[in-house]
Amino acid sequence: MSEKAPVICPVCGKHAKTGSAIDCARHMFGTGDKAHKEWVDAQGLSFIDLLIEQATTPGNKSYELLAEYIEKAQGKK
Amino acid sequence: MDNNKYSVINTHVHNIDGFAKVTGRATYTFDVTLPNMLYGKILRSPHPHAKILKIDYSKALEFPGVVGVVTGKEDTLGVKQGIWRRYQDLCDEQVLTVDKVRYIGEPVAAVAALTEDIAEQALDLIEVDYEVLPAVYEPMEGIKKEAPEIHEGFERNINVTRHIEWGDTDAAFEEAEYVREDWFKVGGQHHVSMETRAAVSDYTPDGKLTIYHSNQSPYYLQALMAGVLGMREGDIRVISRYVGGAFGGKFELDGAIFCSAVLSKKLNRPVKIIYTREEDFIASKRRTPMFYYVRTGVKKDGTFLAREAKVFTNGGAYTGMGATALYLTGFFHSFPYRWRGYRFDGYRVYTNTLPSTSMRGFGAPQAMFTSEQQIEWIAADLGLDPIEMRRKNSHYPGYEVPGQATIGSCGIDQCYDEIQKWIKDKGTLPDNRAIGISACGFMTGGIFNWFDTPYAFSAAMVTINQDGTVELHVGAQDMGQGSNTTLAIICAETLGVKMEDIKLHASDTDHCPPDLGAWGSRQTLMTGNAVKMAAEDAKKQLLEFAYAHAHIVSKTGLNIVYDLDIKDRWVHNVARPERGVDYSELVRIALRGKEGQKIVGRGFYTPHRKGMISPAYSYMLQGVEVEIDEETGKIRLIDSLTAHDCGQPINHLGLIGQLEGAFSMAAGYGYLEYMPFEDGMLMNPNLVDYHMIRATEMPPTAVAEIDTYEPEGPYGAKEAGEGLTNPTAAAIGNAIFHRFGVQMKENPIRPEMILNALKEKKEQEKAGKKK
Repeated sequence: MSEKAPVICPVCGKHAKTGSAIDCARHMFGTGDKAHKEWVDAQGLSFIDLLIEQATTPGNKSYELLAEYIEKAQGKK
Repeated sequence: MDNNKYSVINTHVHNIDGFAKVTGRATYTFDVTLPNMLYGKILRSPHPHAKILKIDYSKALEFPGVVGVVTGKEDTLGVKQGIWRRYQDLCDEQVLTVDKVRYIGEPVAAVAALTEDIAEQALDLIEVDYEVLPAVYEPMEGIKKEAPEIHEGFERNINVTRHIEWGDTDAAFEEAEYVREDWFKVGGQHHVSMETRAAVSDYTPDGKLTIYHSNQSPYYLQALMAGVLGMREGDIRVISRYVGGAFGGKFELDGAIFCSAVLSKKLNRPVKIIYTREEDFIASKRRTPMFYYVRTGVKKDGTFLAREAKVFTNGGAYTGMGATALYLTGFFHSFPYRWRGYRFDGYRVYTNTLPSTSMRGFGAPQAMFTSEQQIEWIAADLGLDPIEMRRKNSHYPGYEVPGQATIGSCGIDQCYDEIQKWIKDKGTLPDNRAIGISACGFMTGGIFNWFDTPYAFSAAMVTINQDGTVELHVGAQDMGQGSNTTLAIICAETLGVKMEDIKLHASDTDHCPPDLGAWGSRQTLMTGNAVKMAAEDAKKQLLEFAYAHAHIVSKTGLNIVYDLDIKDRWVHNVARPERGVDYSELVRIALRGKEGQKIVGRGFYTPHRKGMISPAYSYMLQGVEVEIDEETGKIRLIDSLTAHDCGQPINHLGLIGQLEGAFSMAAGYGYLEYMPFEDGMLMNPNLVDYHMIRATEMPPTAVAEIDTYEPEGPYGAKEAGEGLTNPTAAAIGNAIFHRFGVQMKENPIRPEMILNALKEKKEQEKAGKKK
């Protein structure tokens, strides 16, 4: 069984704290600068809508959704 | 205090500023008068949100006695500044705005005149054309797509977000046998310092600026003013000798300091601006109001598993220290408990209201109002003892808050014992009374460096004069909390001299080392460590001369295994304390030995490898006995006990004063201090309608001191006085819950809220009977 490669931020190349895509999603929301926002929007998502969704509903849906996109992007490399 | 091993620490030392204060000799900024001084007044926005199209002050300039007028556009660099200097996006406030106002009361222009009355009258002669814009006042409205944009580029008015998470929160919720969720609305609160915002600025033709200012961090003010005026820090001197309260509201730039400096620079004369009480209410800052969603999952035996919080804060018009308050409310919402999974999502939203910022407790009172009430309700839902449920889930020494903090000392367990005993001793209460409890913990100084200082967080210098008196220089700021006394105690104890030997110099950036100042309960630990280090340095230098002249000290010569020390001005052989020499004599020997140079000791402190938040944490549990009038909904506080772990007490009288003061502020936050806004306007900006707790309303505030030893603190000391602002609102809410079974989800808890809750409860009971 091969170990998953640690996830790195598709925008700034930062290594996720635990190597997971969800941590990378947290990093992207937490940074929230223009470059990170634009990358999220370019995936067909809306950075701000995801943020509001995370804020107004229980659970971690926005982070999980963004993590999926980050994993996909990681897979393409 | 029995068996106190110290000579000065934890003894009854009077405040070293006490004589000056009680005899009226203390010079506050309000008292400063300089030759040729002018008086300034500020024209403020009447609109919550508007563009400034034109300002015409020609008539004001013609008014007899007016010397000058300044506006943001004509007389300032238009620099957007903020205390979060590392993050340019969060530097969003111009103080004297250039082209747009974002809250009622925002400075628009300033006048300098021969008298305050003339300046006041001249304000009416300034004509401002505004284009009024749509405004938004609540965060839940501010995030809507159709909400007006308050700051360009901040979509949905989201100013800052914070996410804190550890463990697998979702899995922990899955495992929970009982889950409860609640929404809370937590109020703002005004700092109401006895001394309003005040400044005297004196710019001289040689390009130097001296500012007398009421603040809690002269270094911050010096650096921020340099940034907005385009000057070098070293050319600006800030003096804040006596400060009449600050409580977290006075370490950002305010209209008084900025406008007086701009006027002084333009007119080359000193300018004094003192805020009226109304100005202080409407145009300073306030504790951050919040909407709090809390979901908690536990086992049926009361074991805490998971917690999730979603928080929207009403940030008002600018960032200020509100970004820090957002993070800290998220962190302290977990306190003082262990959670397998914890998740916090915080959103600070711009609105067209008075900016919100830090205030004593720094986001934690809001967190504890929600957390500690919900925990009480969970205990009731599950039929568990609320104290024992808290106890089994609490922090302990050595516990690590995952990824956030390591707990050094922790006396929360003893706190539970004290409050349990207090409740037991109370016996049966009258029908109209009940006891509420609330636990919490708090930081001892912040580790974060959002200000981007290149200096050590704290520094101190000790100089010994030929007669043995000691000059102690610190950059710390005493704003009434007694830090000058605490630092002098640490110096006296460490050096082995008396309190009357110490002359403390602070609050002057020209003569004192930089220090981050008084916020986040940092000075006893951080500046205290710097003072201890400086005093140890000086003492070591002195003792080197004592060892070199051992025959004088020890009379018979000194064996290499013997140690010398100084205590109560007596330099002695530790093994034979009766053998020694007077400290003054040693000082003279040292002075000669150093060819006439004074001994100078230096110390500094910056936390390293202490986690994300703070080097140390205090813990406390509070019990409040509350009487509630069922007919009127009025609350009366009858009695209280706080079991408080502040490590080793240093300044005992100061500690008691701090804890009493914190209780009064916390009680006000719980049930009295209400800030209603209508269309962005504060409706009660005066001390008649804004109800703070009065002396006759204060209950006894007993304290059970839980002495622990904090390894990071000087002599084992840690926070006291700020953390105690955190538990009281929840304790009052919990007392009401135990009295009537109603849950108070908004504060301050006002009489009409209690009556409404009782009415609702009766209706529900009636409906239940009909079924």
